[in-house]
Amino acid sequence: MAMSNMSKSVVRTGKNYLKGFTGTQIKVRDATSNDPWGPSGTQMNELAQLSFNQNDFIEMMEIMDKRLNDKGKNWRHVFKTLTLLDYLLHAGSENVVIYFRDNIYIIKTLKEFQYVDDFGKDQGANVRQKAKDITNLLQDEARLREERRSRAHMRDRLSDGPPP
Amino acid sequence: LPTRPVDKEKAESELTLNIKKATNPDETSPKQKHVRKCIVYTWDYHSSSSFWNGLRVQPILNDEVQTFKALILAHKVLQEGHPIVLRDAQGQSGWFETCARTVGSDSMRGYAPLIRAYVNFILSKLRFHRHHKEFNGLFEYEEYISLKNIDNPDEGYETIMDLMNLQDQIDQFQKLVFAHFRGSANNECRISSLVPLVKESYGIYKFLTSMLRAMHRRTDAMDALEPLRGRYNTQHYGLRRFYYECANLKYLTNLINVPKLNHDPPNLFDSPDG
Repeated sequence: MAMSNMSKSVVRTGKNYLKGFTGTQIKVRDATSNDPWGPSGTQMNELAQLSFNQNDFIEMMEIMDKRLNDKGKNWRHVFKTLTLLDYLLHAGSENVVIYFRDNIYIIKTLKEFQYVDDFGKDQGANVRQKAKDITNLLQDEARLREERRSRAHMRDRLSDGPPP
Repeated sequence: LPTRPVDKEKAESELTLNIKKATNPDETSPKQKHVRKCIVYTWDYHSSSSFWNGLRVQPILNDEVQTFKALILAHKVLQEGHPIVLRDAQGQSGWFETCARTVGSDSMRGYAPLIRAYVNFILSKLRFHRHHKEFNGLFEYEEYISLKNIDNPDEGYETIMDLMNLQDQIDQFQKLVFAHFRGSANNECRISSLVPLVKESYGIYKFLTSMLRAMHRRTDAMDALEPLRGRYNTQHYGLRRFYYECANLKYLTNLINVPKLNHDPPNLFDSPDG
């Protein structure tokens, strides 16, 4: 298992190089890869910060769009991109919110995502649930505002250290 | 036009392929990944003419399974596609009628009555949307619409009647689908037509509930609303049974959450939001 994951990540590194992905795009690809773990908090946090830069933001959306429209066999790409998106909606730039409100149908139409793996396990269920949660969040302006505010507040408090 | 990174030429050729694959002769549900691509296309380009053209040129009419799958595909794109799909579809009734007329007498697998009933329902749905442009394909609730209609009680009354007529038609059609299940056979293709029906009926139900509540708050003429209350209650019990039967279909509950209604209809004199 470890070996096969390692060789996959070697292939991914090769692809990153050949297809000329930028550093930011490689970070998105790593965070939303087919590895059975992640994305990690560190990865998501770094990408959230990058989303405040307009260039990085566009590059990120390009990869996330590809990943969200990937086929059933790559359900992990879709699931992990939704996980990352959820994080970005809370802690990333306002542009992420605007972009996905405009393109909400990309998420909405994943509510019926289907994939049953070779062992008969319904791997699509995770994607369907996450797509529902994110659709609801995007459609609830007040809740999204509140969650973004409290997240920012918490971040400020943590970076300031404990109150005197 | 789209803010997504897209390629129009590629999208057109993929659309043709997706329509073809969604309506292939296998007696299964139309694959959701292909249906989804058709829906996304209409949002990307705010257009559905390529979709309707693509559907019309598919050689599906001499195969009952393909015809049935094409209707499920069309229904889902009507529901979830860009609003322009509902407008463009007004010019497609000829194609729908052809589907109903062409389905052969040699309907070996028993889809002919289902196809005719499905076409009937879709044509009613299109008529509804022609008269009530403010509703989207899934009747998703938005407060301003119910407010808009109660300012004019006559119009509100008529809208509610039209919605209830559509709801009755969904009920008749779903019963027909259940009546055509085949004991030993795989019913996946038939069951997949219930998915858009569950969604649509629930959208209508929620809409009716909030509109009727709003009307009860606004009017003094409670007697005038009595026939609507009676019919609403009847539909509540019908829907409850429909959802209960759907909840027993494993294939369907894997795909969507089937709503569970309370035993008794909600009280229309209550206002949940105060």
